[in-house]
Amino acid sequence: MVEVLTRNDVDAKTLKEIYTQISRIHATDQAIQSGLQSGRFACTYWPFTGHEAIPACLQALLNNDDFMVTTYRGIHDQVAKGVPLKGLFSEMFGRATGLNKGKGGSPHISDPASGSMLTTGIVGAGAPIANGLALAQKLRGTGRVSIVNFGDGATSIGAVHEAMNLAGAWKLPVLFVVQNNQIGEYTLIPDYTATKQFVDRAPGYGFRGIRADGNDIVDMYQKAREAIDHVRSGEGPVMLEAVVNRLGPHAGFGNTDHLGREGLREAKKLWSVRSSRAFLLDSGVASEAELTAIETAAAEEVEAAIVFALESAPPAVDELYVDIFDDPKHVPSRANWGKKIAHAPAAPTGPTSSMLMVGAVQSAIDLAMGRDKEVILLGEDVGDPPGGLWKTSAGLQNKYGKDRVLPTPIAEQAIIGAGIGSALVGMRPICEIMFSDFTAVCMDQLANHAAKQRYMSGGATHVPMTIRVITANGFGSTGAQHSQTLEAWLLHTPGLKVAYPSTAYDAKGLLTSCIWDDDPCIHMESAPLLFSAQGDVPTEEYAIPLGVADVKRRGKDVTIVTYGREVVDSLAAAELLAGEGIDVEVVDLRTLVPLDYATVFESVRKTGRGIVVHGATEFCGLGSEIAATVNEVLWRELKAPMQRLGALYGPIAFARVLETQQMPAPASIIERVRQLSRA
Amino acid sequence: MTDIQIPKLAMSMTEGQLTEWLVEDGASVAKNDPIYVIEADKSTQEIEAPVSGTIRILAQAGEIYEVGALVARIE
Repeated sequence: MVEVLTRNDVDAKTLKEIYTQISRIHATDQAIQSGLQSGRFACTYWPFTGHEAIPACLQALLNNDDFMVTTYRGIHDQVAKGVPLKGLFSEMFGRATGLNKGKGGSPHISDPASGSMLTTGIVGAGAPIANGLALAQKLRGTGRVSIVNFGDGATSIGAVHEAMNLAGAWKLPVLFVVQNNQIGEYTLIPDYTATKQFVDRAPGYGFRGIRADGNDIVDMYQKAREAIDHVRSGEGPVMLEAVVNRLGPHAGFGNTDHLGREGLREAKKLWSVRSSRAFLLDSGVASEAELTAIETAAAEEVEAAIVFALESAPPAVDELYVDIFDDPKHVPSRANWGKKIAHAPAAPTGPTSSMLMVGAVQSAIDLAMGRDKEVILLGEDVGDPPGGLWKTSAGLQNKYGKDRVLPTPIAEQAIIGAGIGSALVGMRPICEIMFSDFTAVCMDQLANHAAKQRYMSGGATHVPMTIRVITANGFGSTGAQHSQTLEAWLLHTPGLKVAYPSTAYDAKGLLTSCIWDDDPCIHMESAPLLFSAQGDVPTEEYAIPLGVADVKRRGKDVTIVTYGREVVDSLAAAELLAGEGIDVEVVDLRTLVPLDYATVFESVRKTGRGIVVHGATEFCGLGSEIAATVNEVLWRELKAPMQRLGALYGPIAFARVLETQQMPAPASIIERVRQLSRA
Repeated sequence: MTDIQIPKLAMSMTEGQLTEWLVEDGASVAKNDPIYVIEADKSTQEIEAPVSGTIRILAQAGEIYEVGALVARIE
């Protein structure tokens, strides 16, 4: 359903404001193009030539504290939003004076002071994150609007569908701006979609779609005003589709080829840079002198910014390990091997209660939510009933309400994106991923966005979110797609912390640390342990710092380094081996990133023989990393090279008889430790 | 007075063929009017006047020119 609106007059002051933005954007475009062509500078560039009126009109309706997300083709959006041009050009040229210290570049601009929160190089990935910004505004009652810009080329990707569905279901105050330049990189509509107008999709998601002529500043402004008024009123999201032409190529400078000679000539006549100028003159809103003054000021502003940027130095090399995490001590690096990351405080002395790990998880979430109303829980089925598939949130929605315990659609990208966006503005979301296997579904949001945002933004923004991931590894006959424990994917992605408890006591303390940590933290919860790991757990809130391993059994002959479910198997193996005269020390890592190499080195130095045991696939698992490091550092002090034992390479079989063969178990641990003790 | 030089239309471009003049020598041109056609790397593009004025044509249609070569002036 296309909106039909009556054509009202837009006042002269607004029209001149819009033209001023168009001029600034056009001057930016021209300066970048001429700089690239002449060799004055080199940088990556995805031109927005043809799109100028879209953010120019939006800006006339937005406040500084409204939020914006855009893409790598988004410099026009940045300029209009009010991102400082000196910082913008410096960032484009990779200088220390850049908005993001030169560590993100133009595809990753983040300038919270102007409301430009996040820029993504992944097509469509901004939409789930904008939902998170909008969710925070809704929960806080700020009335601020969150806008996400993307092209028609992004309308085919899963993240955009997930985001629109969630926004419609939750009536989020988000504006989806489809900058439709009618081509996705090198592929045209209708080759990549049967959709005739993207606004046709909006009613399917439960909200309005408004279509604007992005070349006509009056139509663009009126439609944008209608859309923003609706979103600001709290009635839910809107899709604003603005149709333009892409006059430049996908990347680089010059004219596009895809329109052909005649097509380009026609498109340039419609182009808002020219048509709005002619309109302002013809309608008497502005004189030639006024327009020239606006254009000259724009060109001067841009030139001053370029000169500043070219004179700025690149970042110093000691920026390398800054902004990966809040604390550089948490960064896995050779320089940090063996350094103490943190000390475990003494256990609290107050009352305890005997509980399973599932109760410990519930308690950690409950205490955090009770302390701070900005802690929220999102995930599939987390409400009451059923309190989470694994019962990990039982009773929490009844206690804290539907605004804080939010059951989501089955849409992992939307869940993680909502977490990222709300964390960007200071909430502390806990997102639940029901099975570790589903990490695959949201890997882009986790790895390309949550993990990297602090670094890419040079610390301007960060993501204090917790992701709780339940793994059914070892549960029995859950099949290849519901049995994995995929921490290795996360460990290999710089910027994510991973905690993996083996006891109820450790689970509550580690999850508490994750929630209050200012970096994205994944808390891995073994489903078998949720329902079997019983212990005395303090009822008060307490935290076990990340990066502190725990020696669960002291021994002198062989060290087993392990975590999660395999701690239990290793302790069982150790008891049996004691009867054979082999005294095994079991080191429970508790945190995988940051990793407590100090405790590992101390133990393997003492015993001279070590093996890592984990339920995850042995090939390229964490055991490889630890064995290689220990062998390198402790080479001359070892009695045998450090080894690893993980699952056999292969998808996990459904039949128990095969499944149990694939995974480590007390018997296979015993066998390997016996060999190691004789080596 | 503004020099009109063969532009670099792509990073790899070193020369192009000026295939057609769209205005006559001495004509009055307005800013953004197409003034000539260039072909390079299988791409055909119209080049627009950067300023308004009277054009003096200095190059021949059909010839190949290097990037940066002076082909006209507008005064």
